[in-house]
Amino acid sequence: MQQLWLIPTFPLLGFLINGIFGRRLPKQAVNAVAIGSVLLSFVWVLKTLSGLWPIDQPHIERYFTWFESGELSIGFDLAVDRLTAVMLMVVTGVGSLIHVYSIGYMSHEGGYYRFFAYLNLFMFFMLILVLGANFLLLFVGWEGVGLCSFLLIGFYFVKKSATDAGNKAFIVNRIGDFGFSLAMFLVFVTFGSLDFDKVLPQVAGYADTGTITLICLLLMVGAAGKSAQIPLYVWLPDAMEGPTPVSALIHAATMVTAGVYMVARAAPLYQASPAAMEVVAVVGLLTAVMAATIGITQYDIKKVFAYSTVSQLGYMFVAVGVGAYSAGIWHLMTHAFFKAVLFLGAGSVIHALSGEQDMRQMGGLRKKIPITFYSILFASLAIAGFPFTAGYFSKDEILLAAHHHAPWMYWVATITAGMTAFYVFRALFMTFFGKYRGKEHPHESPLVMTAPVGILALLSLFGGFLNVPQWLSPMFPLDGGAHDLTLVAISVAFGLAGIGLAYYMYVLRPELPGQIATSLGGLYTLVYNKYFVDEMYDAAVVKPLISGSRQVLWKGADVGLIDGIVNGVGTVARSVGGVLKLLQSGNIRSYATWVVMGSIIVLVAMGVAGGGK
Amino acid sequence: MLDTVFFYLFTLLTLGGAILTVATRNAVHSALFLITSLLGVAGLYLLLHAEFLFAVQIIVYVGGIMVLFLFVIMLVNLDAAAAQRQFSRMWPVALGCVALVGLELFYFLGKGEPAFRIAAPPPVPEPTAGNTERIADVLFSQYLLPFEIASLLLLVAVIGSVVMAKKRI
Amino acid sequence: MLDSFIPSWAELLRFMPEIILSLVGSLLVMLEPVTGPKSKSMLGHVAIAGLIVALGATFVAHANPGAAFSSMIVVDGFATFFRVIVFTVGILTIFSSYQYLDREGSNRGEYYALILFSVVGQSVMVVANELIMIFIGLEISSIATYVLAGFLRDDKRNNESAIKYFLLGSFATGFLLYGIALIYGATGTTDLGEVRQAVLQSAEPPVLLLSVAAGLMFIGLGFKVSGAPFQMWTPDVYQGAPTPVTAFMSAGPKAAAFAIFLRIFVTVFESVGDRWEPLIWASALASMTIGNFAALQQKNFKRLLAYSSIAHAGYVLVALTARSEIGTASAMFYLAAYALMNMGAFAVIAHVAGKGETTVDVSDFAGLGAKQPVTAALLTIFMLSLIGVPLTGGFFGKFYIFKAALESKLLWLAILGLLNSAVAAYYYLRVLVVMYMEEPSARTENLEPMPMSLQAALWLPAAGVLFLGIFPSAVLEFASASARLLGQ
Repeated sequence: MQQLWLIPTFPLLGFLINGIFGRRLPKQAVNAVAIGSVLLSFVWVLKTLSGLWPIDQPHIERYFTWFESGELSIGFDLAVDRLTAVMLMVVTGVGSLIHVYSIGYMSHEGGYYRFFAYLNLFMFFMLILVLGANFLLLFVGWEGVGLCSFLLIGFYFVKKSATDAGNKAFIVNRIGDFGFSLAMFLVFVTFGSLDFDKVLPQVAGYADTGTITLICLLLMVGAAGKSAQIPLYVWLPDAMEGPTPVSALIHAATMVTAGVYMVARAAPLYQASPAAMEVVAVVGLLTAVMAATIGITQYDIKKVFAYSTVSQLGYMFVAVGVGAYSAGIWHLMTHAFFKAVLFLGAGSVIHALSGEQDMRQMGGLRKKIPITFYSILFASLAIAGFPFTAGYFSKDEILLAAHHHAPWMYWVATITAGMTAFYVFRALFMTFFGKYRGKEHPHESPLVMTAPVGILALLSLFGGFLNVPQWLSPMFPLDGGAHDLTLVAISVAFGLAGIGLAYYMYVLRPELPGQIATSLGGLYTLVYNKYFVDEMYDAAVVKPLISGSRQVLWKGADVGLIDGIVNGVGTVARSVGGVLKLLQSGNIRSYATWVVMGSIIVLVAMGVAGGGK
Repeated sequence: MLDTVFFYLFTLLTLGGAILTVATRNAVHSALFLITSLLGVAGLYLLLHAEFLFAVQIIVYVGGIMVLFLFVIMLVNLDAAAAQRQFSRMWPVALGCVALVGLELFYFLGKGEPAFRIAAPPPVPEPTAGNTERIADVLFSQYLLPFEIASLLLLVAVIGSVVMAKKRI
Repeated sequence: MLDSFIPSWAELLRFMPEIILSLVGSLLVMLEPVTGPKSKSMLGHVAIAGLIVALGATFVAHANPGAAFSSMIVVDGFATFFRVIVFTVGILTIFSSYQYLDREGSNRGEYYALILFSVVGQSVMVVANELIMIFIGLEISSIATYVLAGFLRDDKRNNESAIKYFLLGSFATGFLLYGIALIYGATGTTDLGEVRQAVLQSAEPPVLLLSVAAGLMFIGLGFKVSGAPFQMWTPDVYQGAPTPVTAFMSAGPKAAAFAIFLRIFVTVFESVGDRWEPLIWASALASMTIGNFAALQQKNFKRLLAYSSIAHAGYVLVALTARSEIGTASAMFYLAAYALMNMGAFAVIAHVAGKGETTVDVSDFAGLGAKQPVTAALLTIFMLSLIGVPLTGGFFGKFYIFKAALESKLLWLAILGLLNSAVAAYYYLRVLVVMYMEEPSARTENLEPMPMSLQAALWLPAAGVLFLGIFPSAVLEFASASARLLGQ
């Protein structure tokens, strides 16, 4: 026994303490509880992993039978294998750093204890998600992180846009959850269990590919919701309304990668259904391209990074879709490092400029906030795939796997890599180079913020030397394909070209972008407005739904006459005559008519059903 | 033969009375037609040799409840209600409903007797005792519990009407 | 001959909870005139004590299962399960009523007596093994509830609610009686076990009569559980009635009506199951859709929960459509969870409503999270459970129901049901948004602290909802075992 349950329990305790007593506690105590609990959890992860070393076999701890019904028996079981180990390190490690950063970032905000309580609750659910040994427990975490995400996005609730964004995230995720829960039911009906260690080994011997494909596609619906893939990606950019540490932790490093983790976890299922894998890969690729193009045109620094996240998640799905699960997880890890830096750095910039997020109001900050600048620079190099940075290794692994699967995917992904380099450095140059265009007086963030960013920046540079595919090879065998240097060189070249182009356009010839935008005209407007996808959803889904339920169900089925009577029709209701008048009002009569009509339909239906043999 | 004649007679009373109850404008007339209808039902009980029910039907419904009804109607001024439209615009809907049920009825009539197969009546033991006595037997042995529980129903109804109607409690 | 007049001790024991409650109810009516106007709450305490004793008697009776009174009632796991639900609902209702009645100046003994009598009626329904008993139980419960709905006589909304409920309810009861008559005509008996045997042993079962009887019964019961197309009364009646009574109506009578729904359709009508399945299928779908989509538009919290109650009836009907042991068990589990979370939610409304129920709009709950964080947190638990978020009872309820549906090859119904519950998240969520993310309303700004009694009415169901969500095993096993016995 390694007492795995302690890992999620620490943050849960933190949540309870801060949630219940936080209002009365001084800030230092809130900090101590919030960060202490996550650090304890991190330490316990380290202790567990070293205790289990080298984790050749999955280590499962069964605590109690959660419930039993018929042949379905689900336990409250936690498990650790090598895949979980990677996730645990990312979640608790990056999580701890971001908690520390939050002390500085949130120091001037109201609802301080509330923020940390939610953040701890999030950690709890995320760890349940990662540790759960069956689909149901995974689903518990899955729903839980969605809920916390909703609470944290809407944290600045005085801003209506923040509340709306929280709502949007929750609703879109419900669609994804719908797919996930349906898949879960199908898994149970097909395999008679929900435990990973019982279901997954059965898959190889199961002949009905149709069902498996259906399960995989439904799981993908869930993953698309959580991990912001087409067509459910729309919530993630809006989610940037939340505080920046939240964007870094939940909407870049951990929660949004849950979909990738889930697909890797269910790898045997996907392995049995090439069609579903193809869908995953294509969806990932499309998302990567589309989000990258949008990223090029945005001016809000957090929006740029948000679309970049969507795009990078697309990469990860390409990886798992072409069967390179370990590459996907590797990229998940390195992405957690460099994207966390980008967001936290952006947070530092925003903090320094007292809330300004528009890059057109920035510029020339290189000298004024140097630590932030270098951190972002390192992370940008990593995401652009500059040789020997973290992103370089993981991204090339994905590109090579894509080439192995289908060369056209490699080319599309490589061009996207070029675009990625371009938009990230566009943001960097607009923010840190040129002349300062804003009015505020920028100031460097305190050590409590810069230190975590610095550590993560170093990880972005050197994290690629943690060879995740090697580590995961017992679970996901390396295909042993040759490391094709030509392909690597091409992708690096695209990355460098992107950087160069950004330098040319935003440092050497700053008037150029405007001219290009004008000359592109309609195309630019289309991309700048994010392909009008939000508007299309609004027109095609939201409006019809609301007006439909208003017209048909509210006016039709819910006559709402009680208000009418209260508002004066029933002023004589107290006398006996009044009561009789009520009877005559037609209201009850019309209800009775409904009852009669319904009854007739029921009777005729049952008569016909009963009469027909 | 005579049974059949009486059956149709009582049926006519029951149905005709019911229709006129809802169709007349005057509330007092309505109540009187309701009495007719209830008497018809009582007659049907008699045809079925349920003498006890026949008596109860007349004493309780016709004698007790309906007289109370009439008192209430006469005490309360119902002129306003009588002047109102008696039929709402829903009548086409009602007509459609009736037509639908009628169609179904004819459909099954067309299918003949098998469509209405009902259980054979339980074997009636030789009448060792009168109808009333047998009812009492069943009521106080097999149906003791429902019989007793029904008293609770009445208690609730009494409390309910007191709560609703009394001026000051 | 004379022996059959005197019930045995064992028989009395099986009926003891109802006897106790009837006696306590009568006692309350007698105590009412001799209690001073300030100490009416004492009567409520007596009622709660009676309900607790009845709960104890339920377990004693359960230790000694079997039929009683010429097989008029039967004490089995199923009956015990629902007895516990309706008694618990009674207790919670009284807890949430004290403050409400004081505020409205109507704290009177009859209220508590009527609650007890209504509970007795429901309890009779769930133990009844005979159609006439079922009918009498239903009438006791209904008449008491009609009066409760209009208990505040000077409130116009109460009047309207009561009269609508009464007229339409009596109307629906008529259909139920027709159904009973047809069953008697088809089989010559009203005892559920005998009816079942008669149908099974008959060479050529009277399918038509039974189907039409099932249809008629469905009309009567569908009205009581507010399943489509007989749901239209629900919003008006729920909105108009005093809030604690609304809570009571949405949990107790509904659970009891579903209990007889399950009992009758699983035993008597099982043999014509393929005939009525499409009907319940359609009703389940319509209830879920109408309930959820109409709720999207509601501003009044009580009306919103009324529509949500229609939708939840739809989910339970899905379980019925499954026509399996696990379907029955999941419906039982769901009803238990639903009763708890709904009672809790209404208790919060009763707290916020204010004198004359002037503040029951969702917007009146704005800022509750800041002003009374504990109340808000408890309401959050109930809302999450109504949505069906994991670790709450509502989640497992839905989980079992859709699992049962899938096992019975009702793939499409399960898909549509899941989609429906995704839509439902929206309107429950709105309550949370308003509560946590808006500036306090005029009402929450001056909200009085919560009295002990109301706290009990909140904490108990909250604990129950979480218990069902984290340790569902015990309850589910009990429900499954009862369902297995029921189907035999």
